[in-house]
Amino acid sequence: MSFRRKLFLVFSASVALSVAAVAWLVQQVTRKAFEETENQRTLQLAGQFQREFSRQGEDVTRRVENMAASDTVNRMAALLNRTSAGSAEYFDLARSLAESHQLDFLELLDSRGMIVSSAQWPAKFGYPDSSFQDLAPFAQQPAFLKLEQLQDSTALGLFTVRSSGEGEHPVYVVGGRRLDKTFLSTLNVAPEMRVMLYQNRGEPFSAALLVDASSSPEDIPPAEKLAPLVEAVRRSNQEMSTPVRWSSDRADEEIFHAIPLRGIGKDHPLLGILLIGQSRRTYVELSRRIRDAALLAGGGGIILALFLSGWAAARVTRPIEQLADAAQSVAGGNWDTRVPASGHDEVAQLASSFNQMTTELLAQKERLVQAERVAAWRELARRLAHELKNPLFPLQLTVENLIRARTQSPEQFEEVFHESSQTLLTELANLKGIIGRFSEFSKMPQPQLQPVNVNEVLRGVAQLFQAQLKVPGNSAIECRLETDDSLGPIAADPELLHRAISNLVLNAMDAMLQGGKLTLLSRREPQKVVIEVADTGAGLTPEECARIFTPYYTSKQHGSGLGLAIVQSVVSDHRGTIAVRSEPGKGTSFVIELPERPQLADLGERSRLDAGEPVRS
Amino acid sequence: MKRTGLHWLAISVLLIAASSANADTRPQYGGTLHIAMTMSASSLDPAEMSDSVGARNLVALIFDTLVTVDATGRPQSALAESWQTVRGDRGLEFHLRRNVKFHDGSPLTAEITASSLRRGNPAWNVTVTGDTVTIETAASTPELLQEVALFRNGIAKRDASGMMSGTGPFHIVEWQAAKHLVLAANEDYWNGRPFVDEIDVDMGRNFRDQMNALESGRADLVEVAPEQMHRAVSQRYELLRSSPIELIALKFAKEAASAQEKASRDALRLSIERQSMHNVLLQGAGQSTASLLPTWMSGYGFVFSTQPDRSRAQQVRDQIPGVPSFALGYDSNDPLARLLAERIALNARDAGLSVQLNASATELRVVRIPLASWDPWTSLLVLNNQLSLPPIEVKAHSLEQLFASEQSMLASGRIIPLFHLPVAYAAGTNLHNWTVMPGGKLNLASAWLKSSQS
Repeated sequence: MSFRRKLFLVFSASVALSVAAVAWLVQQVTRKAFEETENQRTLQLAGQFQREFSRQGEDVTRRVENMAASDTVNRMAALLNRTSAGSAEYFDLARSLAESHQLDFLELLDSRGMIVSSAQWPAKFGYPDSSFQDLAPFAQQPAFLKLEQLQDSTALGLFTVRSSGEGEHPVYVVGGRRLDKTFLSTLNVAPEMRVMLYQNRGEPFSAALLVDASSSPEDIPPAEKLAPLVEAVRRSNQEMSTPVRWSSDRADEEIFHAIPLRGIGKDHPLLGILLIGQSRRTYVELSRRIRDAALLAGGGGIILALFLSGWAAARVTRPIEQLADAAQSVAGGNWDTRVPASGHDEVAQLASSFNQMTTELLAQKERLVQAERVAAWRELARRLAHELKNPLFPLQLTVENLIRARTQSPEQFEEVFHESSQTLLTELANLKGIIGRFSEFSKMPQPQLQPVNVNEVLRGVAQLFQAQLKVPGNSAIECRLETDDSLGPIAADPELLHRAISNLVLNAMDAMLQGGKLTLLSRREPQKVVIEVADTGAGLTPEECARIFTPYYTSKQHGSGLGLAIVQSVVSDHRGTIAVRSEPGKGTSFVIELPERPQLADLGERSRLDAGEPVRS
Repeated sequence: MKRTGLHWLAISVLLIAASSANADTRPQYGGTLHIAMTMSASSLDPAEMSDSVGARNLVALIFDTLVTVDATGRPQSALAESWQTVRGDRGLEFHLRRNVKFHDGSPLTAEITASSLRRGNPAWNVTVTGDTVTIETAASTPELLQEVALFRNGIAKRDASGMMSGTGPFHIVEWQAAKHLVLAANEDYWNGRPFVDEIDVDMGRNFRDQMNALESGRADLVEVAPEQMHRAVSQRYELLRSSPIELIALKFAKEAASAQEKASRDALRLSIERQSMHNVLLQGAGQSTASLLPTWMSGYGFVFSTQPDRSRAQQVRDQIPGVPSFALGYDSNDPLARLLAERIALNARDAGLSVQLNASATELRVVRIPLASWDPWTSLLVLNNQLSLPPIEVKAHSLEQLFASEQSMLASGRIIPLFHLPVAYAAGTNLHNWTVMPGGKLNLASAWLKSSQS
């Protein structure tokens, strides 16, 4: 991964993480604040409901007490004390009293609990009010919650019981006010809140039993979603809270707090459930805005990171990239590579150092080349001296013999002269041979590239040396040909390649005078073809391996020391490499690696370089 | 002399007082009579109007019948001066009164009369011969004369614009269907011009609104719910009531489809506690009944027991699998009907039946049926027609057959009689000389309004 990409990722990650962390923190703080506000609002509304409940209860009690103390009810009580026959004339009294005292429910009951007059269910006269077993204890109590049975429904209400009339048979006035929309609408409900009442008739949940101050049960979008909460409260008879989502939109979620409303009596039956709903729309929308802002900031940050990384790359990574490119260029042999070194920062110092280094390397190289050239000349001189010394010394001795023979034994001069002449001619021929070999080495031809099947070359060489490998009287050398048939043709000069491999085979045969095994192998490696010529001869020492390709170096008694140098020259001209692996006593293996598809341009360039032609940069 | 002067003064005062008293009781022409009623008539065509006491009253103001029935139940001539039977009991021949004109000025003719009668009685064969109109029926119809006196046989003429015209004491001035009707005195009425100039009828008012209108002076004559009669009396209004002529009953739309359904209806009938409803809901007005015809009309109504039999009802109910249930309908504008329905539902629940109230239910309803006539046969036959029961073959007008016919109708299980109620009216002190016929119809022919100046 490039430095620029790393830089971009680091910048982006930093920005994204920072924004995410801030957004999360804000979300958490917001959520907590909203939850606290929700709790406070719920508590306030529940308190308000309780206060309104008490206030209306006191109002109902006062009105019922007034009725119980009124002349009309007292007269009725007095009449009923005497006889119940006249109760029919009071049939409509409850309705008119309820209207005048603004009560929703009113029943006048005789001392046995039988309904004399009922405002809410007039036809029920003569029937007992099943809500009360004994009315007398209720006549002293403050207002209480009661589920009133009506003709075709039920209603939750605040009720008070008071007695009227003296004597054994008082009349009971049971008055009440409905806990309905009107009651709920007296509550000061904050925006985004609502309050509902559920009548608990002991039946499965029904939306029709919901009373909502702001809408009818049919308008509450699927009210059945409140069923689990209602059922849970009915089971536990305790306060509970739960979110209710009306649609797939999270903003349509409300937190409902359910408060059980119990009646009086021994078991305090659950008569209703107060449901305080609080919309989460504001919180969800705020949360969404925070998220959107975070996404926007994150996106902006990433774009900024892109620009920053670009800018930083321009300032930091580009010089480094230039340095890397320059280093690769240097590694590729382009030693005079330079990088711009503007500014005074560390990168600029690095660029200056690089430039200084390449300058120094170039100088070192020049010096090395000069040193190598000098060393080569010295080696050449040494070899020449060594080569020339051998024939010159017999020449000198022959000439001295001639001189000596002329002066000391003129009679033998003619014989000596003849013999010396032969010797001189022989040695001069030797000198001429030496010069010829040097000339030949210096005149190595440039490779003429054409498609060449390496396996064919190997087979040709093996066939060429087949006869020499099995010369009668000599130890036989087994030749094994291991070729990779998947090899395709490569661009090479078949004659030079044949010559190079032949030299290696000759070298191997020299190393296996006692016989052995010669292996000619070809194989394919990524983007190159490998040729291996291995013998099982005496092997080479590491020192010999190090110098074995030096021209005129030889470990053999009669070697010219140019064979392997020629091989290296041919391989090098094909943009290939040659290496030697050997261990004393285990044989030697020469490994040639040739590019599978050498660039003709490179070959041409190499040819020109070797020819000393200028190369365009 | 002084003593003589005192005598003259005393005589003068007495004469003036007597003269003043005469002025109070002497009929006065003029004035507008404001009437309120519960009925909401959407049509004034006697042949199209559904039967109710209100409809009868309106028709009587605008239209005349060929004959009428007086307070003793005897037929009296109206548009027909005389009549005679034809083809035994199968027909009547009416001789029309001469010089009678419709409100639009056109003369009453036999053709118009016949046309009007045919519209209300498709089964009749009505023919015309000169000024004579003959009605013939397929079967023997001894009560045909009583039927001709029914309100639906008021003689009406409809002009090209659809406006109704009659020969009655008042003609239509303004008509807003189901809401308001203004009538003006027919100056050329054959039976003499009525005393009041106009009658303003406010329709569709419930009993409470009517009483409030009477109390506030916005109405001179109102209908009074039977259970409210004591209130009207206590407020010193003039209250007149008819005989119990209106039947309140539970009416089933169809005959019981199965024995099980018939048993359910029996259980419902046995569970109804009429007496408490009569005492409380009706405040003692009218009579509890288990018969179709009131006792004063038939003479045998008491034979049918009105006592509930809850244990028997439960026994019958226990023989029925499941919980028999009824949807009970009632007129939502009739508070008494709703109360009765509620009470019946309670009674039924005690017997193990389920009765759900639904004002628009049609299968079973609390209904008010004004008996068509005070002639028992006429009332019973009309009621039989209204219930769409098989026709009753009247062989003889005997009490036994009347009883048997009624018993047969009750046995059909289509109707459960509850009460017979009178029709009551209350009038302000300025309305005089108004009467109520035993059948509940108002008689305003001689009514007059005392002007505030006198």
